[in-house]
Amino acid sequence: MAEGVRIGVDVGGTFTDVVAWDPAGRMESCKVPTTPANPAEGVLNGIAALAPRTGPWATLAHGTTMVTNAIVEHRGAPVGFITTRGFRDVLEIGRMSRLHLYRLDLPTKAEPLVPRRLRREVTERVAPDGTVLTRLHLEEIGSIVEDFKREGIESVAVCLLHAYAAPAHEQALRLALEGHFPHVSVSSAINAEFREYERSCTTVLNASVMPLAARYLDDLSRRTGGKPLHLLHSAGGMMSVEAAKARPLSMAMSGPAGGVAAAAHTARSLGLARALAFDMGGTTTDVCLIADGVPETAGQRKLGDYPARLPMIAVESIGAGGGSIARVEATGALKVGPRSAGAVPGPASYGQGGTEPTVSDANLLLGYLNPERVYGGSIRLDTARAESVIAPVAARFGLTLIEAAHGVVEVANANMLRALRLVSVQRGYDLREFSLIAYGGAGPLHAGALALQAGISSVIVPAHSGAFSALGCLVSPLRYDTVQTHRGRLDAWDAKVVEERFRALEAQCLRPLLDEGHDPARMLVLRSLDFRYVGQNYELEVGWVPGGPAVLKAAFEARHRQLYGYATGENVECVNLRVTARAVEEPLSLPAPPAGTSAVSTGSHRAYFKETGAVDMARYDRTSLPPGSAVAGPAMVEDEWSTTVVYPGQRCVADRLGNLVIEVGGRT
Amino acid sequence: MSAALSPVTIEVVRNGLYAIAEEMSVIVMRSARSPLLKEAGDLSSALTDAQGRLIAQGRDIPIHMGVMGFTVKEFLKRVPAETLRDGDVWFLNLPEVGGNHLPDVKAVRPDFFEGRLVAYAIKLAHWADIGGALPASNVPWATECYQEGLRIAPIRLFSKDGPERHALDFVLSNLRGRDEREGDIFAQFAANDVAGRRLHELFAHYGAQTVAACFERLHDESEEQMRAALRALPDGAWEGEDFLDDDGVEDRRIRVKVRVEKRGDEATFDFTGTDAQALGPVNTTYYIACSGVYYAMKALVAPEAPPNEGCYRPLRVVVPPGTVLSADPDRPVVGGNHETSQRVVDAIIKALAQVIPDRVQAGGPTTAGLLILGARMADGRWAVYYEVHGGGEGATVGKDGASAIRVHMSNVMNTPVEVVESEYPLMVEELALRPGSGGDGRHRGGLGFRRAYRVLGPDVTLTTMIERRIVPPYGLFGGKDAAPFRITLNPGTPRERDIRGKETMKLAQGDLVLIETCGGGGYGDPSERPAALRKADRREGYVA
Repeated sequence: MAEGVRIGVDVGGTFTDVVAWDPAGRMESCKVPTTPANPAEGVLNGIAALAPRTGPWATLAHGTTMVTNAIVEHRGAPVGFITTRGFRDVLEIGRMSRLHLYRLDLPTKAEPLVPRRLRREVTERVAPDGTVLTRLHLEEIGSIVEDFKREGIESVAVCLLHAYAAPAHEQALRLALEGHFPHVSVSSAINAEFREYERSCTTVLNASVMPLAARYLDDLSRRTGGKPLHLLHSAGGMMSVEAAKARPLSMAMSGPAGGVAAAAHTARSLGLARALAFDMGGTTTDVCLIADGVPETAGQRKLGDYPARLPMIAVESIGAGGGSIARVEATGALKVGPRSAGAVPGPASYGQGGTEPTVSDANLLLGYLNPERVYGGSIRLDTARAESVIAPVAARFGLTLIEAAHGVVEVANANMLRALRLVSVQRGYDLREFSLIAYGGAGPLHAGALALQAGISSVIVPAHSGAFSALGCLVSPLRYDTVQTHRGRLDAWDAKVVEERFRALEAQCLRPLLDEGHDPARMLVLRSLDFRYVGQNYELEVGWVPGGPAVLKAAFEARHRQLYGYATGENVECVNLRVTARAVEEPLSLPAPPAGTSAVSTGSHRAYFKETGAVDMARYDRTSLPPGSAVAGPAMVEDEWSTTVVYPGQRCVADRLGNLVIEVGGRT
Repeated sequence: MSAALSPVTIEVVRNGLYAIAEEMSVIVMRSARSPLLKEAGDLSSALTDAQGRLIAQGRDIPIHMGVMGFTVKEFLKRVPAETLRDGDVWFLNLPEVGGNHLPDVKAVRPDFFEGRLVAYAIKLAHWADIGGALPASNVPWATECYQEGLRIAPIRLFSKDGPERHALDFVLSNLRGRDEREGDIFAQFAANDVAGRRLHELFAHYGAQTVAACFERLHDESEEQMRAALRALPDGAWEGEDFLDDDGVEDRRIRVKVRVEKRGDEATFDFTGTDAQALGPVNTTYYIACSGVYYAMKALVAPEAPPNEGCYRPLRVVVPPGTVLSADPDRPVVGGNHETSQRVVDAIIKALAQVIPDRVQAGGPTTAGLLILGARMADGRWAVYYEVHGGGEGATVGKDGASAIRVHMSNVMNTPVEVVESEYPLMVEELALRPGSGGDGRHRGGLGFRRAYRVLGPDVTLTTMIERRIVPPYGLFGGKDAAPFRITLNPGTPRERDIRGKETMKLAQGDLVLIETCGGGGYGDPSERPAALRKADRREGYVA
């Protein structure tokens, strides 16, 4: 990678965060408003704002929620869809199941991604083993092209049956269509995996965001004068502009991937074998498992109500955040979320029109937020307003205000605990081995209490958490992934064929790295396989181990036992081959933020903990904490971006890298 | 426990219980072998208190809602609680012991805390084969339950020392595909085992008394929700009836009749007038009648009420002896589970349409639409392809029905064409919507679909278990009935013939089986359908 100043950018819904890093280890960051009409404006504004401090920049790495938002808000381009004769309705038939079991009033299934008149068929047929049963009748596309043009289609998706096994027909169609349409996505290039509905949806979703991504990326490239530009993809790696334009759907999880990538960097720099990224914002909380410094990825998830199959970080997202609204149901049950006061009107204590009790209001009453501080430049928290919205909850149950506030926080924490367990305990891991890496506006406030409940022994509040997602772009390696369906039983394993297929996939993944001039000696290539017992319908991804089928089977059975608690010794079959290639780089050395010489309390206020009742809680400025010295809970550590609560019995130490490390101890 | 803190504790314990039931479902769904367990599969998970009263259910299909509430209670009548030990997992499938049909095997695990029995975990899973006369254990011509497979009275297959090898071997020796079934059994065991560990953590954290108090509160809350929903309806009595096409043995329709009487915050569902038990396999149990009632009331009046014993307390179900809903234990039942249960729902919908017209849905594919293609492979094993076929959803006051969907009591997914063709000697030549199959109306019913299977190998057997082939899905309030199912062998050739809804037959290599599934009924007078919607229907080709 080129020498010089590197820029990392995260384009979020409200703010665009920009971080600049130079090889001398200096770092600068800023936040500017996002410019939704053309996000490139915001990116350039941010870079320009930093320029006086950093000088000219050399490379730009970029994460964005643009693709996700376009899909969720149905702003993708209309797509024309072409498939094998007899199967155009696969997109509407789907998997035949309904979304809600007991709701006759709600929509039963998602609208088809492409309306029926824009779903067209060509005569051709391939068997599962790739044999051509009926040749492709390419001459049939003339009228389809005409109809699509009349409908104003710019982007076409092609998904033919069994194209994962024999892509030739799709390739021929691509060649023919590229002369007529600026954007063509074919399934064998986007997602060469079996199961036609899921592959069709993935291909169509990709096609729908291609025009938007191309316009944005072309504009950004032009306005940055052709300097090296990379995009953060969903699996937590960087990719080239060309790759992003061809497969923009890979940016679908780019937003949360930034924070998770930065958390993984923190885990690596501290040598943590097991960590959980815990990003708690105003409306949602995202959690992700990080094992040996690598975020866990999954091959499929839902975007809106549609399946998308591309490697993505395995983030579990729940509707619980600082703005989550507490309500008492008619039956007397206390619920928190998923409805949120969001940024507007925000919690009642923000004084911007919120009238319902939120988690933040409860936190304020408990003293877990600083009542004297100005948040976000202009917001002074209003305790009286918080009291007025929590009071009805208290009255309903005959509780004091403080008891009711504890109740709201405890229910919110229980929701988050369920998400933490989902990505760890339910995948066969023991939470006691984990550290919790907490970021996002509310993460460092709740982390200590959650860790205690979950039996997690330490919490890390990472340095630079104010622009964590942008930082994630700087520390992510270039990485390309591919998958190919390959069906074969381990008791009839043809190692030679598998080796050939793996080599072909490796070449495919390495090509973009070589094209960018990376040294072949400094690339890491990883193989994995999706296995299952014969007869199962779900696969487990297992890392490649040399030594033949018996060794592979043992690896599968170990993973099966870890996840499901048993293994049976039955026959195992392979379903997919996967390859990941990434550039190996020196880890970026991040500067430690400024540290003080002695921890001096900046004040104190009343706080309420279940264990201690009312206590005086001292506040500390994070930048005043010298490395190594400990602050004992109850205490509050504040920085520009977040508030960390150190609960009674916990100890908080600033380490040399500027991370806060909380030793949780206590009960499990 | 401080009484003042109870809303928080209840909420947290509730969360914990649902998480456990959900985790049980995920383990079996992802790791079991049976093709029916895939995705939102044919399985259910539940937790009961020490008396066997249902307290929480996981991701389920509604058929099992009533069943799970009875399984443990009936099990305890056969196996006294004091004989149970920590670590036991008992298996059973008898319809008369809180059951439905033989392929749905329940695993019951008693859970102990500090030496006392405090709860049960139950895992129900549909095994792809339970023995009997035909592969996949679906025998459309059966006249006795003994032809339908192995009847498992409660038997202990695991103890704290591990699997009971002799008992396991006995079960596995009586069904096809013993390796796969062993996988299913271990998946059910693993789910129960996890539930046991999680329950133990919950009890250890909150104490046995607190958790027991929470159980009571959960029952009471659900009961109150159902009662409130019932209070909101006017008092009265309404009748509805619906018909099975036939029972597979005798060629006559079979009536399911209900009288719903609602007074204050309670309701009685009296099935007097329902036809006598059938010769063929459409009989079912009182528990399935309850499932139909519970589903219908949850969907129609109280969709948010958490399903547990309390939820059902205000609902009384009366079934006279000897009807198709209360057949003698030796009668065949395999289709009663997923066919007759849907007739129960349709009869209730027709009764309640008179009082809550804005909440009901017109008739739809209330059938499994089941085709089983069994192929004897060269190595002597059976490759059994088991596929359910949905159709068009019925319309409602607010919307057209969705196309190609499952409705009401079941929600099992389809099998991708690329999977069918990779694993069975079959080729799918067409999968397409069936234009014009939806009933017309102010709101139109959804469309059924066409799916055509070409047989590529020798020695293939076809079995059907399908309703709504003769009695079409009904329209409501002037809406038209939908096109019924139609199954055709070798359409458009001299060898063309209709295939019946409950039939078993040999197929020849090269044969084509075309299934055209039913649409959904329309809702409201067709003359009130807006012109714009008619135009869109024509533009997209949804009408013939």
